[in-house]
Amino acid sequence: MAVDLATKSLLHDKLRFFITVSGVAFAVTLVFVQVGLFLGLMDNASLTIGQIDADLWVTSHNTPNVDFAHVFPETYVKRVRSIPGVEKADNLIVWFMNVNLPNGAVEGTEVYALEDFARWNFPHGVIEGNTSDLRRGPYFVLDDSAKKRWGAFGVGDYREILGRRLKIIGRTVNAKSFTTTPLTFMDFRLAQSVSESQLRGNTTYILVKLAPGADAVKIREEIRRRLPYNDVYTKSEWAQRSRSYWIDSTGLGLNMYITVFLGCLVGIVVVAQTLYTSTMEHLKEFGTVKAIGGGNRDIYLILGKQATIAAIAGFVLGALMAYAIAPAMAKIDLKLIIPTQFFAIVFVGSIVLCLSAAMISFRKVASIDPALVFRG
Amino acid sequence: MILQTKNIQKQFTEGRETFTVLKGIDFSADRGEIVSLEGPSGSGKTTFLSILGCILTPTTGEVRIDGEVVDARKLAEIRKRSLGFVFQQFNLFPSLTAVENVEYALNVKGVRGREAQVEAERVIEAVGLADRKNFLPRDLSGGQKQRIAIARALAGNAPILLADEPTANLDSVVGTQVLELFRDLAKKENRALVIVTHDPKVRSIADRVVKIHDGLLAA
Repeated sequence: MAVDLATKSLLHDKLRFFITVSGVAFAVTLVFVQVGLFLGLMDNASLTIGQIDADLWVTSHNTPNVDFAHVFPETYVKRVRSIPGVEKADNLIVWFMNVNLPNGAVEGTEVYALEDFARWNFPHGVIEGNTSDLRRGPYFVLDDSAKKRWGAFGVGDYREILGRRLKIIGRTVNAKSFTTTPLTFMDFRLAQSVSESQLRGNTTYILVKLAPGADAVKIREEIRRRLPYNDVYTKSEWAQRSRSYWIDSTGLGLNMYITVFLGCLVGIVVVAQTLYTSTMEHLKEFGTVKAIGGGNRDIYLILGKQATIAAIAGFVLGALMAYAIAPAMAKIDLKLIIPTQFFAIVFVGSIVLCLSAAMISFRKVASIDPALVFRG
Repeated sequence: MILQTKNIQKQFTEGRETFTVLKGIDFSADRGEIVSLEGPSGSGKTTFLSILGCILTPTTGEVRIDGEVVDARKLAEIRKRSLGFVFQQFNLFPSLTAVENVEYALNVKGVRGREAQVEAERVIEAVGLADRKNFLPRDLSGGQKQRIAIARALAGNAPILLADEPTANLDSVVGTQVLELFRDLAKKENRALVIVTHDPKVRSIADRVVKIHDGLLAA
């Protein structure tokens, strides 16, 4: 065991250590929160695509994302169903409709309409009622996120959607879209009749489930041949397209990159500044290390270790802060998604960032004249 | 001779001007010998000490340690192996305890683990500060700090000890005590000790007094 000058020296000045760690923690928290929020929003952008058990999605031509759908004839589904290798294919309507609330306000809802929700294992998170009852009458199921904009509601209440009085027969949780408009689930035919002028005889998507072992590429090509004025996407392509639309059109991606960059920049500046000031204040000590026979390498190891300790402590503090913030974010319907791999990336990034910051001090140390130890 | 110099000259260049600080110094010291190097400010004694300590290289001339000419490419290695320093400002590491200061110097010299601990405790005891070994420098008096600095220089069996104004920051009584301790330990352990000083008290412990004036040794 050798005497750990790096750690002892770093912890000797507790205020400076705290400032250094705070700089890293700030950067780490910012990165986690920004990226977590971004991933949360992106998850919302393709949440329903992920939940619906379809292998292929047929959309109208150039539909930019799952929310902004356009209509095409519902009979197209028959052309898809007749393709060998297609296990099942159904129409899906995704459509924005206005809701008249009891207080006289008008709000929007994003309607998902299917003939048989259970067939597509959708929606997830039904906490009250049963989607199979939707076919029995003018009913709908509403996600709990609507409470924020629509006010309190319960099963058995009525709401007026596009002038039609419909009964709430169930509730879901965690059904969300990027637009933050509350999601409503209703029978396919009911949706067509509620928005008759636009949806009568039409659909907005065809969901396709392939038979086990079916050749997805061939079936996709066949759908394209039979429906030349529609687009066909795999589940992952469609999810990616929906996410990309929001990233590109809202500048969300650029905003995230800029914030993450600024967070890292602030972190690196704070760490570099505190390490450099510390190095300047300890020049005589480093000169002493050289005078007693140490080399630049010994001092680089001290600075490198100090930077690594600051990185690890800052990472832990920053990660804890991000986790502490997550419940508060959830209360305002903001989801923070931090994948495990991202933890590893930020951890390594923190160390790289701190070691980079220490490089400025390395340069200073390399030029130390050990003769300075003789100066009073 | 454990330490020997031949015709040491040292020039510094500042802007367009070149200053000759040392003008050809021949010097030697034996094991167990204590040499007091005296001279007025600006006479070049600290520069000479830096060259003896392999911290600076001479412009011309050579330094020999134990008969071998010092290789300018291996100065750090020679400092590690053959030299121990005591500084006017003590230069202890403030975050390390007394014993850790000594142990760290041993670590730098390549002595580690139990061996370093035993040696550090031995020299701390030799300077009479066993009961203060776990104190931080800020909790030690000036004299105690200088004793720890002496212990650090002694640790690792370097045959040559170099001290730069070791009593400058100490009061007269403590200064005398530190010098006597230094002398006893250097003699007992057969080390050559070169002390650069203004302090006349150093003469009382020195075997030889060498005066340096305007970059030359005075007769």
